[in-house]
Amino acid sequence: MSLADLTQASLSRVASAATAEELEAIRVEVLGRKGTLANLSKDFGKLSPEERAAFGKDLNAAKQSLESAFDARKAGFDSAALTARLDAEWLDLTIPPAGQRPGSLHPLTQIQREIEQLFTSLGFAVLDGPEVESEYNNFDALNIPAEHPARDMQDTFWLDGGFCLRTHTSPVQVRGMKLLKPPFRMIAPGRVFRNEEVDASHEHTFYQLEGMMVDRNVSVANLIYFMKTLLSGIFGREVTVRLRPGYFPFVEPGFELDIQCLLCDGAGCPVCKQSGWVELLPCGLVHPNVLRLGGIDPEEWNGFAFGLGMTRLVMMRYGIEDIRQLQGGDLRFLKQF
Amino acid sequence: MKFSYNWIQELVPSLKASPTDTMRQITLRTAEAEGLEPVGQHFGKVVSAKVVEVEPIEGSHNRKVVVKSAQYGTRTVVCGAPNVRVGMVAVYCPPGVEIEGKKLTKAVVSGVESDGMLASGKELGINRDHEGIVEVGGGIGCTPDFIIEIDNKSLTHRPDLWGHYGMAREVAAIYGLELKDPVKVRPFPEELACIDVAIKDFTLCPRYSALIFENVRVQPSPLWFQYRLESLGLNPINNIVDVTNYVMAELAQPMHAFDADKVQGGIRVRNAHESESIAALNGDAYQLDGSTLVITDDSGPIAIAGVIGGSETAIGPATTRILLESANFQAASVRRTSTRLKLRTDASMRFEKSQDPANTVRALARAAALLQQVCPGIRVKGGLTDVHTELRHPAPIVLPLDWLSRKLGNDITPAQATKILARLQFGVSELGENELEVRVPSWRATKDISGKEDLVEEIGRMIGYDNFTPVAPLVAAAPPPANPSRAFQHQLRTLCSQQGYTEVYNYSFVNAEQAARFGLSPESHVRVLNPIASDQGLLRRSLLPGIHRNLVENAKHSASFRLFEIGYEIHPVKGQPPLEIPQLVAAVYSRQDGEGNLNELKRLLACLNPALTIQPTQALDFEHPGRVAEVLLGQTSIGRLFELHPSLVKGRAAIVDLNLDLLKLEAKQYRPVRKFPSSDFDLSVVAGPRVLVASVAALLTDPLVERTEYLMLHPLGDGRNSISYRLTLAAPDHTLSAEEIAMARERIITRLREAGLELR
Ligand SMILES: [Zn+2]
Repeated sequence: MSLADLTQASLSRVASAATAEELEAIRVEVLGRKGTLANLSKDFGKLSPEERAAFGKDLNAAKQSLESAFDARKAGFDSAALTARLDAEWLDLTIPPAGQRPGSLHPLTQIQREIEQLFTSLGFAVLDGPEVESEYNNFDALNIPAEHPARDMQDTFWLDGGFCLRTHTSPVQVRGMKLLKPPFRMIAPGRVFRNEEVDASHEHTFYQLEGMMVDRNVSVANLIYFMKTLLSGIFGREVTVRLRPGYFPFVEPGFELDIQCLLCDGAGCPVCKQSGWVELLPCGLVHPNVLRLGGIDPEEWNGFAFGLGMTRLVMMRYGIEDIRQLQGGDLRFLKQF
Repeated sequence: MKFSYNWIQELVPSLKASPTDTMRQITLRTAEAEGLEPVGQHFGKVVSAKVVEVEPIEGSHNRKVVVKSAQYGTRTVVCGAPNVRVGMVAVYCPPGVEIEGKKLTKAVVSGVESDGMLASGKELGINRDHEGIVEVGGGIGCTPDFIIEIDNKSLTHRPDLWGHYGMAREVAAIYGLELKDPVKVRPFPEELACIDVAIKDFTLCPRYSALIFENVRVQPSPLWFQYRLESLGLNPINNIVDVTNYVMAELAQPMHAFDADKVQGGIRVRNAHESESIAALNGDAYQLDGSTLVITDDSGPIAIAGVIGGSETAIGPATTRILLESANFQAASVRRTSTRLKLRTDASMRFEKSQDPANTVRALARAAALLQQVCPGIRVKGGLTDVHTELRHPAPIVLPLDWLSRKLGNDITPAQATKILARLQFGVSELGENELEVRVPSWRATKDISGKEDLVEEIGRMIGYDNFTPVAPLVAAAPPPANPSRAFQHQLRTLCSQQGYTEVYNYSFVNAEQAARFGLSPESHVRVLNPIASDQGLLRRSLLPGIHRNLVENAKHSASFRLFEIGYEIHPVKGQPPLEIPQLVAAVYSRQDGEGNLNELKRLLACLNPALTIQPTQALDFEHPGRVAEVLLGQTSIGRLFELHPSLVKGRAAIVDLNLDLLKLEAKQYRPVRKFPSSDFDLSVVAGPRVLVASVAALLTDPLVERTEYLMLHPLGDGRNSISYRLTLAAPDHTLSAEEIAMARERIITRLREAGLELR
């Protein structure tokens, strides 16, 4: 068979090869070391030098055209095979994955952390205090001596040995004054207890955050500014606050701070009992007696203090209607946060 | 505390502000108003009407009554009151009027059309009488009113605000209006007092004033008088008692009226003797003790001072002479007594706020004037009895105005400060250029105001805090001190929640039964002396009872779940504050897979700190006896890992309980990455039943062994197990040769053999 015929025949076999294996067999048969093309070049020695040059050229050309035909055809098979594999590897990605999902942090933990971070960024130390306090720290050191009617404001769980469950986080003020040297800024979040009947909006166990700033010349105007800034930070929006007189023995003057209702912007709604205002936190300038009992000279230093109801904040944020759920341990409730 | 707007307006006659605005201003400047309640809105629409005909209705206790009034002419109503009779003047309510919250309509009653109704005192809001209809002397004399309700807590420090006159003073100061004093102090007759009073201890009773009245006729007060008391929630009783309540509601001075003919001999104010008791006006008998201050006559206690009177000397229909007491008692003593007796009265509530001793005689003068109105013919008998210690006048307060401005943060002018204080009836004079001398009125001096700080509030609130310009505080920029234990707890919470555990908060209270379930006796707990419920009498010494409750409750509607809590165990320490130990408890629940639960917790422990190890231990009663271990960090036991005993939960629950004071996170320590490659080989060891994987692993040590990894355990069927490990060997300074590895392997096998173990 002539070179031209062989080339022609081989090209058509390449074109009609049905599988990659068949193609490879043809390649070995034609282009292999002992293939038909190699066989043709066995006669090479019998040719004249002129013929040799011409034949060599033809042979190379034939080899090249065959090789590129093989490569092209092979690439075709490869890509078809890849396409077929990819198609076969189709997966239903909507199948839910196996394995454990993350749990969730208690909503009180979350809001507490958020607010701790906010205060830390403002230079406040975060202090802890025990849940069981001495009567002295919980009351006397906060200017609430025995027989003071203000003790009625906080129904107390009494324990053996003159101890009680703290009724507020304010005793951490007493600890803070001893621990930190003025000027200082501190907060104390934590669990507090009141001996109260429990219903959808009252708990005997709830969470507060105490704050205190002691410096030179802290004024009522400073307190108003600070509270406005702080609450805008907590609620993530501008809030309108108002201060009105409130009585707490450990501050003088003492205030109740209201914020304009965030639901109705002050127009009046059921949440704010149509008043446009929601009572949010008690605050005031630290009473000189409290500073004195904490070992701080009230002529040199003064400050403000406030108490944030964390449980209230959580309920406001999520619209939780029953306070008891927070400590009910029902995962159907807790997993939502 | 309830305040009548009409009453305040009587004392501030030029008050034009509406009840709503008055309430708002009181909230912003004085004390928290909780609400505004309209009362007596039907007055003006209901009229006095003469009963002209009364006819029985057959088959009914009701009667057909015809009444005549100037405003509505003749009307026919059906009336069931037993006291209806021809000729009486009753109160007629036409249809359309709202009575007790319901609008009246024409209706057929007992077969007769009733065109309105005749009302009882209760229906009209005049008193609590619903036995019959009200009988009117002349006009009704009542007008619509608004009751402003003030939160008692915000009045704790203000003895003066427990009466209308005090609140009126505030309202007058807020609006800059004139205040009218209801008391006309006319001198009492210059005669010998008719009653002898002795006070044992002036600290407990600084003042006791009294007057005797004769020619008394006990009868109901006029309707307007009853209405005023009833609107404030004070039950009208008779003209004498009503006057004492009226004066209390006006001047904040509690009073008490004794039947003078039942008082034997003189009055003595002293502490009770241990054996004494008293039958009180409320129908209860009280055992007294040495801490109780009592009013006594020759026969013994006739009243508990400042709390309640006795029934023996009570005013009755036959009373003709009264002894009117207007005294001052020490706040702490009254409070102690009322707390001990669990008896809070209108009087004790006021006395425990430290009432003004200067007020007693004013109150008697006011009462005498009122008695003339409601008890015609009454006469004072003899002079005033007024026994008191020297009345203290507190030293004036020096108020530096620049200090005041600094405290408020806004500038205050001397004129501004003076005007505000004067309106609140402080005495003010200028000391120097920038200093005021302030004299505190007696009704603010008992407790409320003692220093210049207290004046900051007076001036601040009257200016109105809304009128202050907020000012940024000037503070040093400084990073706050760290709180590592709190940060650690936050870290653990994040870690647990990422591992699939949901955080719970449980209460700090447990009961004896719950504690016993976890092997703890009630005596090992801190006890609550006044628990809310008898089953919340102990403070938790372990978080396990709470977690147990969580497991049981959630297992009712979930097949598998994980939860954790970080909280404090409270341990009693004799003579010391209790110890509060932070604990982390995590629990995994599933209906069947107990082993899986434990594995999950082991994984959690590995996440907390890979250096934690597990050491089997003796089970406690609430633990699965074959599935319990101590968790160790180094040599220290920091908690327990166990499956909950199957008797305590349906399904299976595994729990780990760790002491966070002892748990530390893994310390990070860098070592350079090894330069020479490692080699590893696997070993399968045949071990008898219950030989611990960890104790076999502990034998697989050698200087060249860098790491031992447990691969699997394969039961051989004869009770023995094949336990496979992968050992990784390396040296820091060269690549190990085949001989080195073989020798190490030999050394390890020898050690295993010495321990009685074979290779598989
Ligand atoms: Zn609203």
